[in-house]
Order: sequence, then structure tokens, then C-alpha cells
Amino acid sequence: MLEINNLSVKLAEEDRTIINGLTLKVKAGEVHAIMGPNGSGKSTLSYVLAGREGYEVTGGDVKFKGEDLFELSPDQRAAKGLFLAFQYPIEIPGVVTMQFLKVALNAQRKARGEKELTTPEFMKLVKERAARLDISLDMLKRAVNVGFSGGEKKRAEILQMAVLEPSLCILDETDSGLDIDALRIVADGVNALRSPDRAMVVITHYQRLLDYIIPDYVHVLSQGRIVKSGGKELALELEAKGYAEFAREAA
Amino acid sequence: MNIAVNKTPAELAYDGMLLPHPRLEDWKWTNLRVLIDRPYPPRLKVDAAKKHIERLLRRDPLAKLAHTRIVFVNGHFAEGFSNLPTGGDVRVTPRLVPLSGDDEPVLDMNKAFATAGVHVEIASNIDAPVALVHVATDAEARTIATRHALTVADGASATVFETHLGEGDYLSNSVIDITLGAGAKLDRVKLEIESSEAIHLAHALIKLGTNAILRDFTLTSGARVNRQNGTILFTGEKADAKIAGSYLLAGKQHADTRLVVDHRVPKCTSREVFKCVMDERARGIFQGKVVVQRDAQKTDGKQSSHGLLLSETAEFDAKPELEIYADDVVCGHGATSGDIDHNHLFYLCSRGIPEAEAKSMLIGAFVAEAFDTIGHEEVRHELARFAEKWLSSRKDFAP
Repeated sequence: MLEINNLSVKLAEEDRTIINGLTLKVKAGEVHAIMGPNGSGKSTLSYVLAGREGYEVTGGDVKFKGEDLFELSPDQRAAKGLFLAFQYPIEIPGVVTMQFLKVALNAQRKARGEKELTTPEFMKLVKERAARLDISLDMLKRAVNVGFSGGEKKRAEILQMAVLEPSLCILDETDSGLDIDALRIVADGVNALRSPDRAMVVITHYQRLLDYIIPDYVHVLSQGRIVKSGGKELALELEAKGYAEFAREAA
Repeated sequence: MNIAVNKTPAELAYDGMLLPHPRLEDWKWTNLRVLIDRPYPPRLKVDAAKKHIERLLRRDPLAKLAHTRIVFVNGHFAEGFSNLPTGGDVRVTPRLVPLSGDDEPVLDMNKAFATAGVHVEIASNIDAPVALVHVATDAEARTIATRHALTVADGASATVFETHLGEGDYLSNSVIDITLGAGAKLDRVKLEIESSEAIHLAHALIKLGTNAILRDFTLTSGARVNRQNGTILFTGEKADAKIAGSYLLAGKQHADTRLVVDHRVPKCTSREVFKCVMDERARGIFQGKVVVQRDAQKTDGKQSSHGLLLSETAEFDAKPELEIYADDVVCGHGATSGDIDHNHLFYLCSRGIPEAEAKSMLIGAFVAEAFDTIGHEEVRHELARFAEKWLSSRKDFAP
């Protein structure tokens, strides 16, 4: 699904390397957790994969379903099945959530040569997915993320994921700013999407989320590279020892 | 002001009699002495074929929504193309209502050159919109000037459209004098989609009586040079005016709106919301002045103007002014100018929406706050469609 080979990335505007020789392979059906302290390159990794401006790839490559990811524009990556759940979902005044979702879904379907959904078909789909995430229709009539609470924003991200049905889900600190009830709803939403055809990369600072979304693999990111990989027990070890220990081991 | 009416505006410019000097503060961004670069003789009779007029009339996006349609062709009332009310609570009288008041260049030009106009009187609550449609046909360059009066009686309400469109090179001067009685309500929608060679100069004088409500929206997308003045005068307490507008400009278009909102009496509310989109080398200007006179306590007046620049050569200038002589008021203004927010764009694209379509969505969202002033849903819908069409004609935004 996703093959990151010796990837190095710097900020476009300044001479600062953020990702430094990162290698990671993710197969369909797998859930990988990437854990790391602040500044280790977690968010940069998610943004680079989604295609945000402001970064420069200085080495290595990324293959997504066998294709060079960096040859694709952000919308092409999405149509091919890549989805990033933002750590800080963007508020877009004036764009109604429902309309936005419909345009996005149909743009992806069109790009893949699939038939676009009619409004009734789309409404049925959204209503069903929204109910599972405890999202009201009223919320969907509001502008994208505008006036949403932290928990609502994260649930809205997961709703988008549930409607767009991507094959690779990247969750960037989806747990941040969530209380325990909201965390459970979000995690349930994510778990409902686990499938043998779908891969997930869960980026998180804390182990807490991984109590709810159980990963197959855990990787520790430090100074832009993966310094240790293991099974789900590695997350607990990290929580006990702290990141400093691993950073030292790596150095 | 002494005006030699047999002269063209351009000729008069050299005498400094009619066209405003750019040293006048209100006209510093719109130098008509330069922008009106050729003669536009007034009162020129031109012929127009019926089929051309009909074709132009069909171009009005609001055509099918108006019940009463009062049509002016090349500055003359065209009864044959109009659909007049058969009596009752809308009275339409073709006549040139005398204009009193200010010495103001657009008004002065109108006083000198206006050839026709109507007085529209609304006596009760009218559901079906009333339209004033101005059509200019392709002919010699000339000045076309009309002047209307609109009276909405105490407690009456109406939706009134004003459309200006045409073909070829002309200068259109249009004045409307509006009076809202006590408790009257007016939804006014003006659509300026003049020919791309034309010059459009307009002035709306609006007086609001006690408890009157005004919802005013102007879409400016035509003409190479546009200057629209608005004078909004509160004469009765607790009246409420919202004046909104949107520009959709490209090429070298120049549009300048100058509003003066004059709070003379207490407890009135005014809102101005302008959302302006400029592409290529277009230039948008918004000058808004809110005056709160000494007796106008408890005034609530706010204005905001925002420019969205779609190219590096587009420009937006805003000049908000507050002149407050009362001490118990809430007033504010805000102005911004910038390009499309890259974070917004990335978010939409990351969900699979192609960049051009995402930009269109964001531009639509940007102008929405101004369009929302239009109370009539079908009208709002038609103008949103007009905006979509405009966007899809821009090279980088075609969905």
C-alpha cells in the first residue's frame, strides 16, 4: 500500500531537515502507530504524504499503490485513496459541510471513473455514517468546522473518512484535545473502518489512543527517522520509559 | 452649478465644470478626467431593432422573476417592452422627478442629461418583485441618463430589482431617489452587468423613516469604469439598513463604491458588507463613511469590506471612515484584502476536490456573506448562478 524509502524532507523556506532518512512499509489491512515527541517530524510526515506546500523532498521516495506519490497532486492522492485526518481541522467559512462532502466524494468518484452519486443516494450514505459518529444533520448544515468544538471537529474528520472510504488513512494526533468520551466515539469510528483492504497510520504523541485503536505495529520517530519498531507492547514501554531513552539509544 | 449641456462630459472635463477633479478626496481613486477618455454626447437618438432589444432583455438573469417590468432602452421609457401593473398597489408614472440636494458630480451630470425616468409608488405589501431594466444597444458612443423615484408607503413592502446591461460603448448615468415610509420594508437588488466598454455612474439616495427596513444588494460585474454612490439617510428612529455588495471584476475593470450612511436620529442600525473579487488587472475600491450626528444616540453602525485578489496585479483599496458626534453608540469597521487562503485550498484538495473547483468553492464562500443580504431566495439563487458562470469563464477557476 505505502512504501516510504529513505525519505528526507526539509522546509522549503529554510534550511532545516525535518524528515531524515525515514523508511516505512505499510501493507493493506495493517494498522501502524507512529509515536514520537514534539518536533520529531510526525506532522511533517503526514503533510508531506498528503501533499501540502512548504516542504521539499531532498532524498528518497514514496510509493503509494506502486505509484510515485510525489507525482500526484493532493486531489489525485485523495482520489487514489489517501486520506489525512488533520490534527487541526481547518475552518472554512461559507462552505457548507454537507455540500463540501458531496463535492469531494463525487470529485473522487469522477476521477476514478465511477458514477457520481445523486443527492438522495449521497444523503442516505451521509445520514447512515453520521449517525454512527453521533453527528447531527444540523451540524452538517453548518460551514466546514466553523464553530465546531474540538471533539466535533475530530468527529467530522472521521465522518469524512467514513464517507470517502479511503484505502490509506493517516490520522494525525486524532486524540489531541479529546476527552475520554469523545475519544471513544472517534476510536469506534476508526475501528469500524478497519478492513483487510484498508491500511492505517496512526500518528500520536501519547499511548492513550492506542488503548482504543490497537495497532499491529508501533514505530518510534525521533529526529526525523524511525529509531525503533515493534508490536503494540512497544507503546506501553514508551509510556513507561519516556521518549528520551529511545532518543539516546538511537544516538 | 452651471453646466453647458450641449457639451460632452469629456469636453466639460477640460473646463473643470462637471467631472470631478482627483484632488477631491472622494474621487482620488477614480479620476474621471482620465477614465472618460472620449466624448459621450448626451441626448443622442439612436435606433435599435426590436430583436436586439429582446435579445438583450433576455440576458437579464432576473427577467423571469419580476412581475412588473419597467424597461428603458437607450435612456427612454420603452412601454412596448414593459409589463406594467394594471392598477392597485403598485403605481408607475413615467416622469422625471426633480432632484434636489447635493452638488455631487454624478447627480449634476444626471440633472443636466437625464432624458427619462419613472416614479414607482408602492402602497401596500407587494410580493411580486418590481424590476427597472436599463438596456443600451450597440450604437455610437453616447451618454444615457435616467432618473427614478421610488416611494414605499408607510407599512408597505416590496422587492425591487434594478438591472443595467448593454452592448457597445456608452456612458450610463443612473440615479434613483428612494423614500421608505414609517415601517416600510424594501429589498433592493441592483445588478450592474453593463457592456465591457461602458462607463457606469450611479447614485442612490435613500431615506429611511421610523422603523423602516432596507436590504440593499448590488452586484457589480460589468462596465470598464464603474462608480456607484449611495447616500443613506436615517430620518426616523429605529430604522435598520443593510447595504451589501459584491464585485466580480477582471481585465482592467475599475469599480468604486462610495457610501455615506448618515445617522441623524437615535436608535438606528446600519450594516455594510462588501465582498469584492478582482482578477487580472482589475481594481476594486470601497469607500464607506458612517456619520453619527449629535442626536443619534444608541446608533449601531458597522461596516466591513473585503477584497479577494485572484492575481498579483489585481488591486483592492478600502477607505472606511467613522464620524461620530454622539457618545452612546456602537460603531466599527473592518477592511481586509488578500488572496485565497492556502490552508483552505489545501484542505479542500486533500479531500479530492481539484484545485480549480476548490478555488471556485472558496470564492463562492467568500461572497456568500454579501449575497445573504438578498432576502428573496430565487433571486439569491439566480445571482449565485451568475457568479458561478463568471467564475467558470475565468481561466484558472473552471470546474
